[in-house]
Amino acid sequence: MSFIEFVEGPFYTVAMTIFLLGAAWRVIGIIRIGRKKDISPPKGSAAAGFFKGNLRHFFPRGIFARRTWLHIVGGYGFHLGLFGLMLFAAPHVAFISERITGFGWPTLPRWGFVITAEIAFAGLIVLWVRRISDPVMRLISDWDDHIGTWITFFVMLSGCFAMQESHVFLRATHMLLVNIWLIYFPFGRLMHAFTFFLSRGNTGATYGRKGMNL
Amino acid sequence: MIERRPLPFRSRKAEILTHQTGIKRLSNIFAYARVIAFMLLSATWLIVETGQSDAASHVRAPENAVNLPVDDGPPNTLGTRSDGEIWSDIRHGAVGNPSSSSASGQAIQSLGQDWRLLRENYIVKYAGWFPVGVIGLLLLYFLIRGRMKIASGRSGKTIPRFTLIHRIAHWFTAGVFMILGLSGLIILLGRPVIVPLFGHEVNSIMTSAALQGHNLFGPLFVVALMWMFVKFVRGNFFQLVDFKWIFKLGGLFGGHVSSSQFNFGEKSWFWLLMIVGAVMSITGLVLEFPWFFEDLRLLQASTVLHGIGAVTLICVSLGHIYIGSVGMEGALDSMLIGEVDENWAKEHHDLWYEEVTGKSAKDDTEEGAST
Ligand code: HEM
Repeated sequence: MSFIEFVEGPFYTVAMTIFLLGAAWRVIGIIRIGRKKDISPPKGSAAAGFFKGNLRHFFPRGIFARRTWLHIVGGYGFHLGLFGLMLFAAPHVAFISERITGFGWPTLPRWGFVITAEIAFAGLIVLWVRRISDPVMRLISDWDDHIGTWITFFVMLSGCFAMQESHVFLRATHMLLVNIWLIYFPFGRLMHAFTFFLSRGNTGATYGRKGMNL
Repeated sequence: MIERRPLPFRSRKAEILTHQTGIKRLSNIFAYARVIAFMLLSATWLIVETGQSDAASHVRAPENAVNLPVDDGPPNTLGTRSDGEIWSDIRHGAVGNPSSSSASGQAIQSLGQDWRLLRENYIVKYAGWFPVGVIGLLLLYFLIRGRMKIASGRSGKTIPRFTLIHRIAHWFTAGVFMILGLSGLIILLGRPVIVPLFGHEVNSIMTSAALQGHNLFGPLFVVALMWMFVKFVRGNFFQLVDFKWIFKLGGLFGGHVSSSQFNFGEKSWFWLLMIVGAVMSITGLVLEFPWFFEDLRLLQASTVLHGIGAVTLICVSLGHIYIGSVGMEGALDSMLIGEVDENWAKEHHDLWYEEVTGKSAKDDTEEGAST
């Protein structure tokens, strides 16, 4: 079995299984903890608060937006860029349609792929350099934050390196890093991709039930 | 300067020639032509040989076979001039535009040969030694001089120097610069360094990866450079006090040197980065999108300027990185937490210290004040 067959075959299957089971385990675990019973009479809707809490957190309020604009631009640039890349880059759609869905969808043209990647990279670099050059951020960041960032960065970089699509080795390296990323995902803060809506929703629901305007 | 004029010959052969971009491709064509000619010769010889043997007696045209008319094609396909004459014309300044393709760029010119020689015999050959030399000198300096300490020790009190946005702009630029520097060196030095060490296959893989990385991160550097300019240009204009700094060689070999927010060395680094960085950005974009530029000379000049500019920036940045980290105690604080120790400010940027605090940098009431 060649390197590429290994990383795209059994290793990928194992990594994907760990990713899916691990992520499901953690999300179900959080939901099972549930919420403490609130016996006070409700003054508003918890369910509406859940959604409002989620939507409201997509953009910070007034003065915070002004003070953190670069963080917002970097954050959105990185995340939207990453989703654009993951879901609309031609090689990814080909892989997903072949291995998972059985069908494909329209893909980004190559220049779109490149620009999306540039936005994602710029965002990720801004987010990380902010982490190291803001004393408070540095203090509250731990290994998990740095590992999560760097694995994601290396996955993206190896993908960028493979863009000529002329060397199997480069594609295999990208796939190897994707597998490592999938395995690490459920164990660290990368999980925020699946849990952020629960924490924001929880805060929103608590305030919503109390009838507070978010 | 070679003026653009039509090729002084026009034949089918010349058209095939002008079809190609660059002299290298032309020589490829000749190489292929030789192979094809050899194969044709061999085939002819085989046919002649077999024709003489009994093979011919086994192959008979069918009874109803007719002779189809043969299209002879345009006459005089090889032209009326020899290869030597054509090359001589090119060497003496004949330039050509492809007459049989949609591209209108200049495809043949003699400068390509000079460019290739300059690139191979000078740039590729020596480029790598400059950074190695600078690293050697820095190591030597560090071994002799050691870390430049804050003479009066840390005061424990800090003053703000850079905002968070300044720091993010700096590290963003530095990050992109390092990716470009490394990938660029791989592209430039693949043949003389990677091939002898690891072979052609590894070089091919590394160069392919580096080229993709370089092309993708290049435009980010253009953005970073503009951001850096906007954020740092204030305080980087040269002043009279900078001349004193030059005479004392920046205190590199001892003695106190006065300076405002940025000293002469930093200001020079800033402007070098801006000017050479702008050249790198322009030439880089030309090389990334060559199809927008018709004149081959522009591309040739771009590769030369891009290479020289890159080596210059890499070498000077090594010095900057040294002095900003291990070389000088307290310097990195400004880019990590945005604040610097008061004593560091007094020793290295006394005029700036006085400006922002309103206190004298020579004020001895501050414990441990120096120089
Ligand atoms: C790891 C590498 C680097 C380190 C440790 C570093 C460190 C520093 C420090 C400490 C300063 C502030 C100096 C002061 O307070 O006066 C600074 C300023 C600066 N750095 Fe860097 N740097 C690095 C890489 C780079 C690179 C790669 C570039 C350029 C592409 C760069 C460009 C600049 C510029 C333009 C300034 C402002 C200087 C001025 O405006 O005069 N740095 N750096």
